Amino acid sequence: MSALRMPRVATVQFKPWKTKGWGRVAFLVVTSVLMLVPMYLLVVSAFKSQQDILAHPFSLSPDQLTTEYLRKAATNPDFNILKGYAVTILFVVSVNVLSVALAGPVSYVIARRSERRYRMLLLLFVAGTFIPSQVLVIPVVYTLKFLGLMGTIPGFVLFETTLTLPFSIFLYAGYIMTIPASLDEAAAVDGAGKHRVFWSIVFPLMKPAVVTMVILNTFSVWNDFVNPQIILGPGSGLYTVTTGVYAAVSQYSTDYTVVFPTLLLAVAPLLVVFVLLQRHVISGLTAGATKG
Amino acid sequence: MVGPALALFVVMLVVPVGLSLYLSLTDWDGYSANPAFVGLKNYVNLTHSAEAIRAGWVTLLIAAVGTVLLSVFGLGFALLVNGASRLNAFFRIVLFYPHVLSALVVGFLWSAVLGTSGVVNGWLTSKGAEVLPFLSDPKWALASLIAVLVWAGFGVNVVLYLAGLQTVSKDLLEAARIDGATTRQTFFNVTLPALAPVVTVNLVLSLVTLLKTYDLVVSLTGGGPAGSTQTAAYLILWDSFHNNALGFGSAQSVVLMVITAGLALTVARLRARADQGVQA
Repeated sequence: MSALRMPRVATVQFKPWKTKGWGRVAFLVVTSVLMLVPMYLLVVSAFKSQQDILAHPFSLSPDQLTTEYLRKAATNPDFNILKGYAVTILFVVSVNVLSVALAGPVSYVIARRSERRYRMLLLLFVAGTFIPSQVLVIPVVYTLKFLGLMGTIPGFVLFETTLTLPFSIFLYAGYIMTIPASLDEAAAVDGAGKHRVFWSIVFPLMKPAVVTMVILNTFSVWNDFVNPQIILGPGSGLYTVTTGVYAAVSQYSTDYTVVFPTLLLAVAPLLVVFVLLQRHVISGLTAGATKG
Repeated sequence: MVGPALALFVVMLVVPVGLSLYLSLTDWDGYSANPAFVGLKNYVNLTHSAEAIRAGWVTLLIAAVGTVLLSVFGLGFALLVNGASRLNAFFRIVLFYPHVLSALVVGFLWSAVLGTSGVVNGWLTSKGAEVLPFLSDPKWALASLIAVLVWAGFGVNVVLYLAGLQTVSKDLLEAARIDGATTRQTFFNVTLPALAPVVTVNLVLSLVTLLKTYDLVVSLTGGGPAGSTQTAAYLILWDSFHNNALGFGSAQSVVLMVITAGLALTVARLRARADQGVQA
């Protein structure tokens, strides 16, 4: 049963520690503790006073715990976290919708046409994955200024969408090639136009690839720091969760009653999504890592 | 169907890259109306700038040491958590979860843990022990930065190696077992050769990712102490927007892009060769 549910790691093929099974588990338990300690400190410290955080960082006695600092962080005048969530979700949704709307049709054309110029087009898009966005944002500032979009939501969403195009097109085009062309030819014979064929026949079959991209784009937009920080800027008053954390935390980086509750509020939604959808998230983000 | 995506891509990516190339040949400060064309002066200055050279070396050191650690941890833990038990599934999630967090948050979290007045040092002080300079000594700070990068990133390498391990031929492993090979012999003669393409991909992907290190520097060390943890991307943004040296910053960008693209093309070529090797 479990082999069916987890096909990717269904079989044990190599067991160098077979004879020392408990040693392996003990080592992994110690490693897990090291991995989780920072998260444990983040969670418990969000409910403690500065003095308790420093004197008894690991303790968890109920009389120390208070939600006072968490409430303060939620109503921080430097950074309205609820507005931060709303702004970030707006960006996440806009980028995802726009990315699929733009990358889908192009990928379809690239996958179905064998002419050399369409292969060149794919190469051009894929080459975009090699441009580091931290560096690209500098000239983009001046491009956006020229277009009158600097410091605006459309400007930021358009740039962030552009960053998703290379890998989306690479993934979608590869995926569409595995869908039999006879399906869309049949629809075309029945008189459906190219857009109609793509959106009503091909697109519904692309679901796995689209899910992967949506997960990847959601996390990368939510976690992006340099692009919203530079394009939206502190002057616009528009903070995403990540740039808001920077605004709230960087000046008070040693006041841990500000740092820990703010960080907890910033990561909580992502961690919930991760726990609920962990297998999809792991495969989506790993696919993203291979884009280079 | 191609038009809208291509138009956006050209305006937001192709034109800006071209603009970077052009600006790298000028002395533009970001404001003046007529930037002067200075030829390759910015590139020549780059080879004399102690700060840029140090940032270059820091970036290469992070990329090299980080890549080795990510690959060793990635493969090592993949071997340890390979297999379909519930416990292994739990370990895989625990090893992976930091990758979900933004690098900015990871940096602030670890700076609260490792800082001079942070949790660890606060605890040491309360026990009467000496404070450790995790982030306040140049060498310690660079080591801390690399350690946090590895902590936050190696889960991805574990998952990539796990996927690779599923492709190792079961027949070969079975044959090796029947022939009486030790686990060590099996690993070095069957598993590792079969993983060669995955190893290559992991090495170069880690390298390309680490060359872009930026967010974590901002939140963990702020480039300090005394500029000792400034990476190339950090210095490029600093020079471009704080020092108003757009021309010089653009020249550094172009060098970073060329190095990154060169490495990425190397991956593509090695991957193609590995695929041919599999077919042969």
